[in-house]
Amino acid sequence: MRVCTKCVLPETFPGIEFDENGVCNHCRAHKQAEYTASRKTQYREKFERLWAERQASGAYDCLMSYSGGKDSTYTLDLLAREYGARVLAVTVDNGFVSPTAIENIRRVAEAVGVAHLFVKPRFDVLKKVFAACAERQIFPPKTLERASTICTACMAMVKFICLQIAVEKNIPFVVFGWSPGQAPVTSSVFKNNPEMIRKMQETVRKPLEEIAGGEILPYFLQEEHFARPERFPYNINPLAFLEYDEARIHARIEQLGWKKPEDTDPNSTNCLLNSFANTVHRKQFGYNPYAFELAELVRQGTLDRHDALARLSEPEDGEMVHLVKKRLGIEQPQLR
Amino acid sequence: MENFVFGLDGAELNDSDSFLDKGIIDSTGVLEVVAFLEETYGFSVADEEVVPENFDSVDNLVVYVEKKKAEMPGQPARLMGA
Ligand SMILES: [Zn+2]
Repeated sequence: MRVCTKCVLPETFPGIEFDENGVCNHCRAHKQAEYTASRKTQYREKFERLWAERQASGAYDCLMSYSGGKDSTYTLDLLAREYGARVLAVTVDNGFVSPTAIENIRRVAEAVGVAHLFVKPRFDVLKKVFAACAERQIFPPKTLERASTICTACMAMVKFICLQIAVEKNIPFVVFGWSPGQAPVTSSVFKNNPEMIRKMQETVRKPLEEIAGGEILPYFLQEEHFARPERFPYNINPLAFLEYDEARIHARIEQLGWKKPEDTDPNSTNCLLNSFANTVHRKQFGYNPYAFELAELVRQGTLDRHDALARLSEPEDGEMVHLVKKRLGIEQPQLR
Repeated sequence: MENFVFGLDGAELNDSDSFLDKGIIDSTGVLEVVAFLEETYGFSVADEEVVPENFDSVDNLVVYVEKKKAEMPGQPARLMGA
């Protein structure tokens, strides 16, 4: 298969074009390092200004969307240590959080000194959603560039659950641990506008309600949330504007007692569903759903191109995929 | 500009279509548009201005950009368009 000679995007990636040197359109549009650095400074300063001015009248300064993976663990520690934040860490249990990740979550929450909340949506409802996501395309094609359909559905629910809690508890910031490959710096400080959120929520809620019925609705914002527009928080994604260095991240979080799970695939350090989601996506579309993220990390110089290629071509764990299928009640997904 | 924002030829999109309803753009995309406008036209977009009324269709964007350019002191504004 043909792959960009600079990053790792393959010819199967939607909308890709190569020039005569085999360099893809995304690489050609990539901005210079100085540009990225000045953007990072701009967004970090914006966040720090907002942080200094925050009116934290409730019990928490921020809510951290905490998956238990390496990036969100590092971010959680930064918030508590560097910014002195009173954090409520929230983990949404999609039924596939790896046992090692659960132990990590407990250890890290204790080591860092933050309150933690597990939210577990009904598994019978999630099961319907994930099974449907494995069979057909549910969201606009644009979303497929960045993640598998299963991941997109799960992440959307995580986002709205966190937003619900932030509005209810009057928490002024919701923080995510996206890597700079997953979220561009321009989206690292973002004020949630209720009307905007309402529209974005509809694009996810509608298809999921068709699949799972009204039982899905409690995991989305309700009118009672929209009735408190003054409580809509900022979304913050610190790893997009701070330094991102995987070696440093691992070194720091190991001090907190975080252990690398042996039971997940190489692109996820918390979720057992991921192998299956990747398998489905790779079969359906012919590229790894992590290609976009890793390509961007390669362009930014934080990941070696050969390491990225190795990660992307590694086969998924067949046994794990089989276990997930069993738990979802789909032996043979209908692939198109 | 449409080409920058969506990587589309515009064929499937009417100027009044909602980007969000059509699933052409998500929250990340909206913020990329914000950054693009700031760089291209040199004005800054306030957080309160990132609302559907300003950003959720080509028509809305055009009106918003014209208004912002008119508010800019000094220099004649650059022409809109890609
Ligand atoms: Zn490339």
